[in-house]
Amino acid sequence: MAAAGAAGASVMAHNGYAQEAVKLPVEPAGTVPNSAVIAEKFSGMQVHSERPLTASVPAESHHFSVTPNDRMFVRNNLLTPDIDASKHRLTVKGSVHKEVSFSVEELRKNFPVVRTQAMLECAGSGRSGFVPRPSGTPWSASGGMGCPVWNGVRLRDVLRAAGLQNNAAYVAGQGGDFGVIATAAPVIRSIPMDKAMEPHTMLVFGMNDGPLPKIHGAPLRLLTPGWAGSASTKWLHTLTVLDAPFKGTFMDSSYRIPRDAVKPGDRMPPDALVTEGWPVKSMITYPAPNAVFQVRRLVLIEGRAWVGEGAISRVQISLDEGVSWQNAQLNNAGDKFAWRTFSVELRPEKPGFVTVLARASDDRGNTQPIVSKWNPLGYFWNGVHRVGFSVEA
Amino acid sequence: MRLSVMALLFAASVASAQDAEPSRTLTPGKGAELATARCVICHDAQHITRTKLSRGEWEFNIKNMIERGAPIAPNEIAPILEYLSTYYNRDVAAPAPTAAATGGDPVANLLNANACTACHQVDKRVVGPSFKEVAAKYAGDNTAVGKLVTKIRQGGSGVWGASPMPPNAAVADADLQQLVGWILQQK
Repeated sequence: MAAAGAAGASVMAHNGYAQEAVKLPVEPAGTVPNSAVIAEKFSGMQVHSERPLTASVPAESHHFSVTPNDRMFVRNNLLTPDIDASKHRLTVKGSVHKEVSFSVEELRKNFPVVRTQAMLECAGSGRSGFVPRPSGTPWSASGGMGCPVWNGVRLRDVLRAAGLQNNAAYVAGQGGDFGVIATAAPVIRSIPMDKAMEPHTMLVFGMNDGPLPKIHGAPLRLLTPGWAGSASTKWLHTLTVLDAPFKGTFMDSSYRIPRDAVKPGDRMPPDALVTEGWPVKSMITYPAPNAVFQVRRLVLIEGRAWVGEGAISRVQISLDEGVSWQNAQLNNAGDKFAWRTFSVELRPEKPGFVTVLARASDDRGNTQPIVSKWNPLGYFWNGVHRVGFSVEA
Repeated sequence: MRLSVMALLFAASVASAQDAEPSRTLTPGKGAELATARCVICHDAQHITRTKLSRGEWEFNIKNMIERGAPIAPNEIAPILEYLSTYYNRDVAAPAPTAAATGGDPVANLLNANACTACHQVDKRVVGPSFKEVAAKYAGDNTAVGKLVTKIRQGGSGVWGASPMPPNAAVADADLQQLVGWILQQK
C-alpha cells in the first residue's frame, strides 16, 4: 500500500489537482517538529494524533489552580509554524477607517498590557464521551482544555485604533499555519463584535507571565475566552472586520452544533448554530482514578468548574451514581473566564469502592447533564465527570 | 432509565480504556490505496481507523475535507466513500479480507484469516514478538518447525513476555506448515 511512512511519501499527481507529485517531508520547512513540541510537555501528556498534532493530559494532571504551559492541550488543524517574532506583523483591515499594522513590540508599547486567567477549550473536548463516537480527535472527558494566565493587549483597543465603520459587526482572525499541501484551506473563524469588544478578549503574546510558546500561537494569538478554542486564532497575522459572519468551511461546515438532539449518525441540520461559549462543565482533579485510601481517613475531593459565558453558581457531587446530590464547597471566584475550584471532604466509613460524580450549574439556570446530547461533530461534551477510588481497611 | 444510561456511560469508558491502538494503515481492500493517497497526507491513518462512522457521516467528512483542500477529484469521491463505508462502517460489519484484497498472497490470507497480525507484525513488536524476532530466535534450530507448529496450535506464554499466545486449534496442518516456513524466512 502507498502509505505515507515516516521517511516521507509522495502523492500521485492526478486530474489536474496537483501538477507534480506532492512530497511530504518528515518535518516541512518553516515548521516546529512534533518532537520539539512534545519535548516541552508534561511526560503524562497523551498524543491523540500526530498529523495534525493533538495532545492533552487527563483530569488528574490538571490539579493546578493555573494550568502550567506543559499541561496545556495541543490542537492544531495544520502544521506548527515557526515564525520569526521580529518580522511578524498584525494587520487590521476591512470595515475600518484606517488599515493598521503592528509588530508585537508596537502592540506592547502602544496599548495597555493586561493579564487574565481564562479557559480555553477545544470544541471537541470530551468527544470520547459520545456514544456512538463521532469523527474527530477522541479527547477524553477532561481533555482538550486548560486555564492558564494570558498576557497581551485588549482586542478592542486595537480595533478602536483602526476605527470601526458603522457596518462593523464581526471580526475574523487568520493565522500563519499551513498544511502539508498548498491546497489546505486556511483556518479562518469570525466572532461577533460584542465578544470582540469584551475587555477579556485579547491579542496574546505571553502565557503564564512568560513568553507565549510556539505551539500555543507565538508570536501572537487571539484569545476569545470561554469560547470554542478555534475562535482563538493562533499565529495571528490578519484581523478582518466584516459586516457579516465570515463565510468559509471552518465557519459553515465545521464548528457547528445543532439546536437540539440529533439521531446518532444523522447529518448536521441546516439551521445548526456556530459554536460559541462552552456550556457549564466540571471535572474532578483529585483523586486520580483508582486511587487507594484508608478507611475513616479524610479524602479531600477537588475539582474545577467553568462555563463559557456567565458564572458558576453551584457544584454538587453524588456518591450513589446520581440518585442524590450534595453541595460542594465552591472556592472564591477569580478572573471572569477562569475556572473555579471546588472541594468536598469525605471520610469513608467502610472499605469498598467509591464513585464520585460532579456536576456544575451556572447563574443562567443550566446544569450539566449526565450525558450530553449527541451531535454529528461531537462538540461541547459536558456530561458529568466520574472518578472511582478504593477504600481499604 | 437513569441506571441504564449510567451503565452505558461506564461501559463506554471501560471500552475506550481498553481499546487497542488503532491500526496505522488502512485495511486492504478495493479503494484502500486511493483513500490512503488522498487522506493520509494531512492526517495519520488512525484518524480513519480509530472511529467507525455511518455512511452518511463518511459522506459528510469527504465533502468537508474537499472544502478544506483535500486533493480529491470528483470521480474519486464515490470509490473513497465506498471503501470507507465498507471497512469502517458503524452500522455494517466489515467483510473478511479476501484473496483479492491481499493480492492473492496465500500467506497474507492465512495471517489475516487467523488474526495473526492483531498481535504480530513482520519487523515491529506489537503485543507479541515480530516475525523477524521469532525467526532470529530459532535460527539454526532444526526442531524449530515442530516447536512453532505446536506453539501456534496450543498457545503458550512466557517465552516473549507476559502476554499469552492464544491457541489456534482450527488451523489446518498444511496451512500451519506454510505459515511457520514463511515466519522462519523473515530475516
